[in-house]
Amino acid sequence: MSSLLKIDNMSVSFATPRGNLRAVNDVTIELLKGESLGVVGESGSGKTVLSRATMGLLPGTATRTGTITYNGQIISELPKDEVRELWGTGMAMIFQDPMTALNPVRRIGAQLTESLTVRLGMDKKAAKLKAIELLMRVRIPDPESMLRKFPYQLSGGMRQRIMIAIAVSCEPQLLFADEPTTALDVTVQAQVLDLITELRKESDMAMILVTHDLGVVAGHTDKIAVMYAGDVVEYAPTRQLFSNMKMPYTEALLKSIPRLETPTGSRLPVIEGRLPDPTKNEPGCPFANRCPYVTDKCRAEKPPLTNAGNNHYYRCWFPIGGEK
Amino acid sequence: MNWFAEIYKRVIGIAVVVVIATFLLSCLMWLLPGDPAELLNPSAPEGAIDSIRKEIGLDRGVFGYYWHWLSNLLTGNFGKYYLGGGEREVSEVVFRTLPVSMQMILYAQIVSLSLAIPLGLVSAYKENSRFDRIVSTTLFTMVSFPGFALALILSLVFAVQLGWVDPIGYVAPSEDLFQHLKLMILPVVSLAVGLTSSYTRLLRTDVIATLKEDYVTMAASKGISNRRVLWKHVFRPSSTTILTSAALNMGGLIGGTIIIETIFVIPGIGYEIFYAIGSRQIIAMQTLIALVAFAYVFFNSTVDILTQIIDPRTRERRV
Amino acid sequence: MSDVQQTVEVLPKLSSTKKKKPVGFYLSATWIGTVVFLAVFGWLLPTRPWDSADYDALGVKPFSPNHPLGTTGDGYDMLSGLVNGAKISIFVALVGVIIGGSIGTFIGVTSAYYRGMYDRVVTMIFNVMLSIPNLVLSLALLSVLAYSDENNPTTTSRRVGVLMLSLTIVVVPILGRIGRASALQWAGREFVLASKSMGTSNASIIIRHILPNVAPAILAIGFLAVGSLIIVEGSLAVLGIGVPGGASWGSMLANGRGNIAYSPHEVYMPAMAIALTVISCNWFGDYVRRALDKRESKI
Repeated sequence: MSSLLKIDNMSVSFATPRGNLRAVNDVTIELLKGESLGVVGESGSGKTVLSRATMGLLPGTATRTGTITYNGQIISELPKDEVRELWGTGMAMIFQDPMTALNPVRRIGAQLTESLTVRLGMDKKAAKLKAIELLMRVRIPDPESMLRKFPYQLSGGMRQRIMIAIAVSCEPQLLFADEPTTALDVTVQAQVLDLITELRKESDMAMILVTHDLGVVAGHTDKIAVMYAGDVVEYAPTRQLFSNMKMPYTEALLKSIPRLETPTGSRLPVIEGRLPDPTKNEPGCPFANRCPYVTDKCRAEKPPLTNAGNNHYYRCWFPIGGEK
Repeated sequence: MNWFAEIYKRVIGIAVVVVIATFLLSCLMWLLPGDPAELLNPSAPEGAIDSIRKEIGLDRGVFGYYWHWLSNLLTGNFGKYYLGGGEREVSEVVFRTLPVSMQMILYAQIVSLSLAIPLGLVSAYKENSRFDRIVSTTLFTMVSFPGFALALILSLVFAVQLGWVDPIGYVAPSEDLFQHLKLMILPVVSLAVGLTSSYTRLLRTDVIATLKEDYVTMAASKGISNRRVLWKHVFRPSSTTILTSAALNMGGLIGGTIIIETIFVIPGIGYEIFYAIGSRQIIAMQTLIALVAFAYVFFNSTVDILTQIIDPRTRERRV
Repeated sequence: MSDVQQTVEVLPKLSSTKKKKPVGFYLSATWIGTVVFLAVFGWLLPTRPWDSADYDALGVKPFSPNHPLGTTGDGYDMLSGLVNGAKISIFVALVGVIIGGSIGTFIGVTSAYYRGMYDRVVTMIFNVMLSIPNLVLSLALLSVLAYSDENNPTTTSRRVGVLMLSLTIVVVPILGRIGRASALQWAGREFVLASKSMGTSNASIIIRHILPNVAPAILAIGFLAVGSLIIVEGSLAVLGIGVPGGASWGSMLANGRGNIAYSPHEVYMPAMAIALTVISCNWFGDYVRRALDKRESKI
């Protein structure tokens, strides 16, 4: 299979009053056609910035360096107007909160058919038919009356389905899903994820799934990049990662997933401590202050990205499972 | 029904405000030195003044006088002018002058909104750019420029010195549309400068807030042009404040037209209010001010209700 | 919340914390300072008398040696007129805002503090007063209280007095409503309740705790109100019922309208004086407001 997206040494920083805020450090990632990548980390780890920066959806105060290659074309050098040509038809995004990501004053029909008429040049009638078909594909009952509704008349799960329908309407090759289930009820979460995976399989769409929940990515991705403080700290095929975890941070993330068998009322294990200040450049491993296995070396020197074989990379002096 | 209760409450509120305002005016009239009836028509003979006094209820004390005026007003009798070449019905004056003022206000609204909407959208989109800073500073200066000073300077430059238009006068659009528009230019510009500034500033603030919304990023991620994002996705949700303010001005500007209509000698309702006050036509004055106050509170209340219809979000909040 | 939102939220502060030289602030402060100085000490300056005409110099254009800003068509010196006019224009507006603002603030703050029937009546009266446009209200007051005809003409000082009174009345509901809205925010705060529970009297809670917090908002709006009262004074003069005899800026402008065709400087000099003062008041008020906003956001 051929490469769809290649990110080489991408860094993103924001100009803030307190100084330069580094959100993403020197990240290199590759995605094949139809493949699915999970980007996992706590909030503040840079995972959302990574996905938005790749697409080019950053505010004016952001600076991005590095190379992004999409379908063999280097898009990081393209002028904004040409990048925009790819949005919707090549790369599309599902946003985190369906409550805020749909325009409150426009009808569902207008928001859904917009890409179809503007980007694909369909006439109104064809766009409406296509919209109904899309709504049926995302399993919305009575699609025709749905077109006339406003977002405030719908539940969160319904809105998220609408957003998915909008994102896939122009049949993009690459779908960014930014915490697509975080704002939803637990019962709806699984349905929405299954729906996304099904739609992907149907049209061989690649996906970058951004989430804080390792449990979510397990069943829906081919490989996983774990992010911490702007760095990719572990990067491996999904099975490999779960069977042979190297990073203490990934382990801590895994422990913080709530499970059904956890007795109600017992406290969830959370990762102690806080993320380092992204405006300061401190020496050592950024996770050192929170790591249960920390040594003096960790505090003094930042570990490099190390290859463990089998496409498994990690960034730690003392990975889990030995082999110094 | 919720709506009926809401409207009912508003109507009561409007009525109370207008009644109190006009009653206080009546009391003020009572303070006038001299005989109000005589002031209404100083040149009338003694017997005529007595009949005027009876006619408007001045012989029944301040409450009786007020009640007389109010009940007349409610039955559609707006009262009379007693000065200046015989008696004139106030209702006739209102029907003649109100459309003139409304034309002027409407033109000013159209001009200022069609300037303010693109200016507000673009300066918000380019927040803190050179363009934005120039627009903001200019508009802030303009909004504080007194309307009458602007009117006088405009008429000095364009009418007196350059002679492009006549400095004063009014022609009905049915008579001569071209001449009508030509005469309206200066008064409308005088009114519109302040309005444009305040509308642009309101819209800019709201658009800046809207641009931070997720659904705008979402719309941009569809790959549609910036222009389309601004018009279709940003403008509508940001337009509530500017529309509210525009509607409020429909009522509020009637008072503001007094000075403009006086400077440009336009036979509008503002000029009539000034004339009624200046010549102490207490009945006409009370009726006209009641109309202005009514227009103000009426638009105020209607706008509150209308915004709930225009913006689905406020409906959501009520549920 | 996603990472991007967290980072984006800090961005808007960027512009406000960036140290920009507030040129407008210095310009407006300088102009206000000059005008107030002229209003207070103008009579000490060696200018010509403002109220006696120089019949050898009728309608002299500006920048002539004897009359730096020219004369009116009737031979009155423009510079002296403007300096003298500052006295009444500024004085009338300041008195209106200070007295009207104090009354309005007092009523607004107490009504927000005590609530109940008193508050409802006050709110109602404010609404009634605000429903009548400023200019109409002061027109009506002036025409009644400074009533004059051939038999009993009113003196200039009486007119100025009535003008101040009506401007004061115009200001009361404007600042009263601001004071009430602002006091409402503070009256429910913990430190007020704490003070109440210590047995502090209502009067001293209002004076010690609420007024100091309301004052900044009142101050900022107060500057804007000075500007709008100067406009009202000018408007009344243009309508011919303000201060007579060219004793204020508005009055000079109203007199000058008759000579507009051959000595336009009679109109645009006082018009510019009024405009610059109003703009300065608004700028200054806006800087005060922004400085306070910044203080507020630090809390």
